[in-house]
Amino acid sequence: MSDPLVEFEGVNKYFGETHVLKDIDLAVDAQEVVVVIGPSGSGKSTLLRCTNRLEEIQSGEIRLGGQSVIDADVNYIRQQIGMVFQSFNLFPHMTALENVAAGPEKVKGHSETKAKERAQSLLDRVGLSAQVDSYPAELSGGQQQRVAIARALAMDPEVMLFDEVTSALDPELVGEVLGVMGDLAEEGMTMLVVTHEMGFAREVGDRIVLMSDGKVVEQGEPESFFENPTTERGQRFLSRLL
Amino acid sequence: MAETRQRERREPAPEPFLNDRRLKYIGLTASVVFTLVVVGFLGLILYTQVNVDRFVNIIHPQFINAFFVVLQIVVISSVLSVIGGVLVGLGRISETLPTRGIAKGYIEFFRGTPLLFQLIVIYSGIPAFWPPGQFPIENFSIPAAIIGLTLNHSAYIGEAIRGGVEAVPDGQMEAARSLGMSYAQAMQEVVLPQAWRNALAAIGNDQVILVKDTSLLSVLAVPEIISTVQNINSATFDIWTPILWAAILYLAITIPLGKFVRYLEARADPAGGRDR
Repeated sequence: MSDPLVEFEGVNKYFGETHVLKDIDLAVDAQEVVVVIGPSGSGKSTLLRCTNRLEEIQSGEIRLGGQSVIDADVNYIRQQIGMVFQSFNLFPHMTALENVAAGPEKVKGHSETKAKERAQSLLDRVGLSAQVDSYPAELSGGQQQRVAIARALAMDPEVMLFDEVTSALDPELVGEVLGVMGDLAEEGMTMLVVTHEMGFAREVGDRIVLMSDGKVVEQGEPESFFENPTTERGQRFLSRLL
Repeated sequence: MAETRQRERREPAPEPFLNDRRLKYIGLTASVVFTLVVVGFLGLILYTQVNVDRFVNIIHPQFINAFFVVLQIVVISSVLSVIGGVLVGLGRISETLPTRGIAKGYIEFFRGTPLLFQLIVIYSGIPAFWPPGQFPIENFSIPAAIIGLTLNHSAYIGEAIRGGVEAVPDGQMEAARSLGMSYAQAMQEVVLPQAWRNALAAIGNDQVILVKDTSLLSVLAVPEIISTVQNINSATFDIWTPILWAAILYLAITIPLGKFVRYLEARADPAGGRDR
């Protein structure tokens, strides 16, 4: 049994007095797709944001490939962790191509030509060959989010974090983004996905993690989780979905 | 059915006296009257007060000289104050408390005291550290003017830059940092270009005020436009001829400057205002 790629060990996080993550233990294997679900305010997004240190944790340990994320150089560790946000956060003064090329060019020091060639192929991969020269304001939400995925992939991360990436989209645009994520999962990307899309969780997820009130209350394979949740909290959450 | 018919037959509400049509005529009449008064007044001045020969032949060279002195001061102070303003603005949003405090104090002082006071402090205050007559800079008036205008306007531009940065959503910094950019890189590549665009209108506004602030430099014995008006007035007892020159020269700087700022704003809008 190989070591997990991402590991949370006794992670605690407070916002002032509020205890938002309570002793989280969680392991994500390489190439595994872990889908985190749960009611809003349960700490799902905070867990993701702690992983790449957009939020600092108060105690516990987070490791990536056995190395402590907390002790590492923050700019270095973030290069290994791709993050996609609910609100896209594309850079509005750059074209789609420039958005995707910015990371490799500015952070990894790749030449502009090389970075843009790579960006072009990544945009092809997310189905946006025709939009390379468009600015974010000229793209639909679904297209913007696909550019954001390409931008994160451009850094060749070890793991991708998806923070409710379809929640800000019009319903008819959700499919195109989930499609790209499904392809990524199939290609073997390690993914930690926070979502309210239960269909996606069931179809693409290798493991479902249910969070509630800052704790992991249940986890398991999608089939067993959705068919026979073992905990009372899990049953309650699922019954409310139906 | 009956109800609908009744509603159709109902009388329209009586129109108020100030209906749209009347309002339009009132506006039109007011504009025409205003234009006639202004044109008449200007005509009266030109006809009775302005000496055309003096306007062209005698006064001309002094004003051209003043114009280029002002232009030189404006261009140098303008460039320096934008650089200074970016530094002050960055200090203002710094996460380091002393840096933020110093920037805040700087802004409070230079916005809270009159420019005239600051100019006097620099022009008369600084040479006072040397024994009389020993101050190394021979003609200090123009350097003092540039220093004063730069320090003063850096404070205003600093505030504009701070506002511009604060208007950039937090997600932009987060996205840039998530790619592995350092704080400085994220600022330079992502936040500041957007902040600059947000701040441009306010900065342009401030630069127009900087041009007009040169009128205060007469107290520093800078041969600028207002002192030229006063010199010519005391020599010839003619006031309207130099006033006309002064108006033309100030507008000759401020109007193109305003156009230039609008050009920069258009250029800084990446999608050219196109939006989905």
